[in-house]
Amino acid sequence: MSAAPPRRSYSGYGRFTPLWFLAPAVLALLVIGIYPTLFALVTSLRQYNLTRSRDGFPFIGLANYQQVLSDPTFWETLGRTAKFFLCVMPAEIGLGLGIALLLHQPGLGALRALARVSLVIPLATTYAVVGLLGRLIFNRDFGIANGFIGLFGVPAFDWLGNSAGAFAAICIMDVWQWTPFCALIFLSGLSMVPVEIEEAARLETGSKAALLRNVQLPYLLPGFTAMLILRSADVLKLFDVVFTMTRGGPGAATELISVYIQRVGFRVFDLGTASAQALLLLVITIILARVYIRFFYREIE
Amino acid sequence: MRPLLRTVSAAVLFAGALLATPPAQAQGWDIAKAAAPYKGTQLNVIFLDRPGYRAIIKLLPEFEKQTGIKVNYEIVPYENTREKEVLNFNSKGDLSIALVDLVWIGEFAENGWIVPVSKLSGDAAITDPNLNLKGFFPLLLDAFGSWGGTTYGLPFDNYSGLLFYNKCMLKDAGFDKPPATWDELANTYAPKLTVPAKKQYGYALQSLRGETQSADSFMRMLWPAGGSLLDKSFRSNLGSKDSQAGLQFRQDLMKYMPPGVVSWDHAEAVNAFAQNQVAMITEWSAFYSTVTDPKTSKLGDCLGVAPEPAGAAGRLPALGGFSLAVASQAPEKEQKAAWIFIQWATSEAIAKPYVQAGGVSGRMAVYDDPAIKSAYQFVDPMVASWQKGVPEFRPRFPAWPAVSEVVGEFGSKMMLGELTVEQGAKEIGTRMEAILQKEGYYDGKKKLIQ
Repeated sequence: MSAAPPRRSYSGYGRFTPLWFLAPAVLALLVIGIYPTLFALVTSLRQYNLTRSRDGFPFIGLANYQQVLSDPTFWETLGRTAKFFLCVMPAEIGLGLGIALLLHQPGLGALRALARVSLVIPLATTYAVVGLLGRLIFNRDFGIANGFIGLFGVPAFDWLGNSAGAFAAICIMDVWQWTPFCALIFLSGLSMVPVEIEEAARLETGSKAALLRNVQLPYLLPGFTAMLILRSADVLKLFDVVFTMTRGGPGAATELISVYIQRVGFRVFDLGTASAQALLLLVITIILARVYIRFFYREIE
Repeated sequence: MRPLLRTVSAAVLFAGALLATPPAQAQGWDIAKAAAPYKGTQLNVIFLDRPGYRAIIKLLPEFEKQTGIKVNYEIVPYENTREKEVLNFNSKGDLSIALVDLVWIGEFAENGWIVPVSKLSGDAAITDPNLNLKGFFPLLLDAFGSWGGTTYGLPFDNYSGLLFYNKCMLKDAGFDKPPATWDELANTYAPKLTVPAKKQYGYALQSLRGETQSADSFMRMLWPAGGSLLDKSFRSNLGSKDSQAGLQFRQDLMKYMPPGVVSWDHAEAVNAFAQNQVAMITEWSAFYSTVTDPKTSKLGDCLGVAPEPAGAAGRLPALGGFSLAVASQAPEKEQKAAWIFIQWATSEAIAKPYVQAGGVSGRMAVYDDPAIKSAYQFVDPMVASWQKGVPEFRPRFPAWPAVSEVVGEFGSKMMLGELTVEQGAKEIGTRMEAILQKEGYYDGKKKLIQ
């Protein structure tokens, strides 16, 4: 008779304990993120029109994707979204970096703290409210945009009533809302630069440009990459501001891709096609993210 | 033999009873008695933030007290209403009553989401003996409530397009009455009333992309000129001479409108009119209370209301409105309670208090009342507008929302001058026919009703 192995006292820690700790997070991700995505994937392979529910929802293979890829409006709105991104992003990066550098200057402690807090206000404003504010700001008769350009002798101008004006207006509102975000990210990057390195560099050179390029820039790049990824995804699904401000008009001047998808999904109720469009956007977002990481992201050494 | 005899005599007796009862029944309706079995039932319905709904909400406590039926309403912006209802019906949700815009009737009826009136009106225990469907303006019952010859909903929130004009501005320009035709409006009135230096314009047409562009702007100019969206075989009729004339007329009229009307919704147009910046607008009758209220309007005694001007094809004003129908997803008991509520809300008995509370009833009788006629300027022109009209002012088939999106996009591009009227009509035509092709209108799968 061999002796029984010594019984381990129950410590409450078993083979699966780590799994239990991870479970809530994984579960939440499954419920919130993965399940809807899979559902959209299945929907995108079906004829899924809610106003024709009596016809059922049969599988139709890749027909929805085919339809989306050969739909000129899809490409037009996607192109317009790219143009929008290229208009707002440089402005937000430029202004954001400028603000961050100003706030990084030593001195004026209380005012700086106040400025930093007030930067959060545009970020905390609901998109739909930003759109409604935009409608007032760019009103032809009493909007402050016309009041402002009037100071420089420029005649009043009907922003939302013509294509170029409306596009400019949604760009301006986006820059207003998102520049603070860029500024805060850059500011956190700047504050990561070790003080002694920065001081040593200041002794070496008087040139702020050289300081920025050689010392501060490496610390800014990770934040910059994250910013690009977040903003790209964000612009691709930008909806509320545009919808409340111009509803995609006049004509199709401000119809970004997400406004178009909403139209297909919730006006025509063709959820199959809308899901296919949304999944294509997801693919675009992922590709863009890989590209950004490849070209901009550098580990700090 | 005897059973047969008995049956026949019973049938004769029954027929005689039927003939005899109506006068006795028509005495009046004890709504409390009819509703007794449904006491405590909760009804769910979607309302809009518009005068007609505020009016019924004011009267609602009386209904709830009499019947013990509770009506829960949720107020939703118009643009989201169809989305909410379609999702609710698809998921077998809690709505017991459908609020049906006239352009949704085809979709709701063909999907079987709403119950035909005949299914409920046969049940005498829950039907008002004074239901009198013939008492509604036939145009309204036909356009708002019926699809393919079956009546589903009763007209509840009713609109006609009207010409609102500023008497004082017209008088200053030398006119003592409003224009009777579109031609007069554009060629005689508008040039004299437009003074851009003073920021004053002859006319404004709300044209924001969406239903406002397609219904209020595009269709309004198409019909009076003799044009139409579709021909008899459901192909695009926008290329026809008359349709082109109507669209070109809108384009030419723009020089007398404020810049930027392409981005104007109802609120902007009504407001510009109420603030004396625009001399004439064509708007829904429902905005009457906005332009008469001194809180929102500077007009005062300067307000004038007339029917919309006539075009080459006669007077074909914009037609719009909502009916209430019983939702087929509701359990039977709830359906019956809903039917009692809908009859009450659209009844002849309540028409007068409803109008006095700011609503616009679809019953003919109430507008003969001298007290109503003298108190509300909009009554005469509106009743005149409802005498004749086209129910398919906007096609009411299920494909309309998709078609409306196309018209909204290219209609506003036309106004902006990005496309000529001819190019725009062609673009809309091709896209619309592709939608209708998919619906099966061209291969005989579907009856051509709009």
